[in-house]
Amino acid sequence: MEKLLRDKKAIAVFVLPAFILFTLILFVPICQSVYYSFCDYDALTSPKFVGLKNYQNLIVDDTMKIAVKNSLFFLIYSCVTQLVMGLILAGLLTNIEKGRNVFKNIIYLPCVLSSAALGLLWMFIFSPKLGINQILAKFGMQGPLWLMDIKGYITLPMWVIAFVALWQYVGQSMMLYMAQISGISKSLYEASYIDGCNKVKSFWHITLPLIKPMVGTAMSLNAIGSLKFFDLIFNMTEGGPNHKTEVLATHLYQQGFKYFKYGYASAIGTVLLILCLIMTFVINKLFQSENYEM
Amino acid sequence: MNEKKKGKISIVKILIYAFFVIMSVIYLAPLLWVFSVSFKTNGEIFTDPFALPESLFIDNYVFSWTAGKLGIAMMNSFFVCVITLLLSMFLGSTVSFAIGRMKWKLSGFVMVYFMMGMMIPVHCVLIPLFTRFAKVGLSNNLWGLILPYLTFSLPTTIFIMTGFFKSLPNELVESACIDGCSIYQIFAQICLPLSKTGLFVTGLMTFVANWNELLLAMVFISDDTKKTLPVSLSKFVGPYNTNYSQMFAAIVIAIVPTIIVYCAFSNQIVEGLTAGAVKG
Repeated sequence: MEKLLRDKKAIAVFVLPAFILFTLILFVPICQSVYYSFCDYDALTSPKFVGLKNYQNLIVDDTMKIAVKNSLFFLIYSCVTQLVMGLILAGLLTNIEKGRNVFKNIIYLPCVLSSAALGLLWMFIFSPKLGINQILAKFGMQGPLWLMDIKGYITLPMWVIAFVALWQYVGQSMMLYMAQISGISKSLYEASYIDGCNKVKSFWHITLPLIKPMVGTAMSLNAIGSLKFFDLIFNMTEGGPNHKTEVLATHLYQQGFKYFKYGYASAIGTVLLILCLIMTFVINKLFQSENYEM
Repeated sequence: MNEKKKGKISIVKILIYAFFVIMSVIYLAPLLWVFSVSFKTNGEIFTDPFALPESLFIDNYVFSWTAGKLGIAMMNSFFVCVITLLLSMFLGSTVSFAIGRMKWKLSGFVMVYFMMGMMIPVHCVLIPLFTRFAKVGLSNNLWGLILPYLTFSLPTTIFIMTGFFKSLPNELVESACIDGCSIYQIFAQICLPLSKTGLFVTGLMTFVANWNELLLAMVFISDDTKKTLPVSLSKFVGPYNTNYSQMFAAIVIAIVPTIIVYCAFSNQIVEGLTAGAVKG
């Protein structure tokens, strides 16, 4: 038995195909990408090492500033709103019996749909000729240009897109919290009611501390998801108007595959990678906690 | 006193239900709207976007399916997703079996190596992969999509399947051992069939994620006959198209397959999502 489970040849047969694939398609390209970010490289030339030049260009690039600002806005917005809304939805849903599954499935539905298609759908909803502004017009109000406004530090289209992203993905956080809440033993709540807690109090003092590890998991999923956010923005505004809704991912796509500045785009990719790693690390540190007996 | 408390609770309950009914409307109204508009003629839309269609105008669907190339795109998506699904189930479960059940020194390291894939956004490998694939003839080729899709599906698959393999009872493997099974037989005939739920769940997640993927498909495929559904859709519904009802029909075509899959397997999808997060 022991011998069988330590069979080196079998382990190699089981692991190597996937390991090689993973190395070739993920690990090697990442190293290459980091190397390219120090190179002058476009569609016509081969990579030539130029040191930090791409990064120096990044610092003075106005669109990059907007992209970083928007990506960070997006990161913070989605972490906070998904946490709050996800907890509210999960907390309320675990308190009702009838219809729980129906509501749960309805709210989770957009998570599995193509964000490309949903982005187009919401673009129509917020377009001036159709959708919301037509409803407002019926009440004699003139709606704003939802996706074309360029005023403000964080422009209106960014808020609109962030709202749509919350609409689409809050189901995922809700689902994760619900799974964790349903694992908490009933006796804990009963004990707290005897001690005079009401539902809100017991949510605050029992549920929240016990689902803290899951908050960390859900939040790191959110953080990475919001940093690599692409589909919705690409289909709702394509980074416009006037690059005001550009985020890191769309900026990378534009630079890399519209202008074919591979070296420059790789530098953006490296920034994105570093942000993802930092966020994962920070969130893991923040939510590291001892595991309670549930 | 008791009665009063009961009355109070039911008011709270009513408020909760009211809240969820409003939420459901916010979630379903856009989807229902797109369905309703997709059956209208283009002229009908602008007279009143929110009225129900006067008659079911199917031509929108026919046009976007054929001229909009969504039919071909759906076949391509289907091909790519099914191949990726099968390969990732196979490769993922072999690795998970080795990590979850077998004993070797590097298993922890290999697990971390694969889990790295969860943190890394696909954008970071886009450029090196694009230039490399162009050299070896994998750009503009559906296999050039399958390879990265497979790679990025593996971490989740391995994560969930390792959990399943670890939870299998030891006695089973032991008795199979005594009966003279080889390690390959233990994997294929004992452990794999017992982890069917896990396989199914990871398969669904892989399928849905790849079905919706836009960025890689957009970069790697430029030939119209090889585009996948999200790419063809984004191209068909764009600033140059003025026929709104056809665009709405195209959106419906793109989301209906996943809605059907979701309605059929919503419980398993949810299970997969939570299994992936809880077991960690």
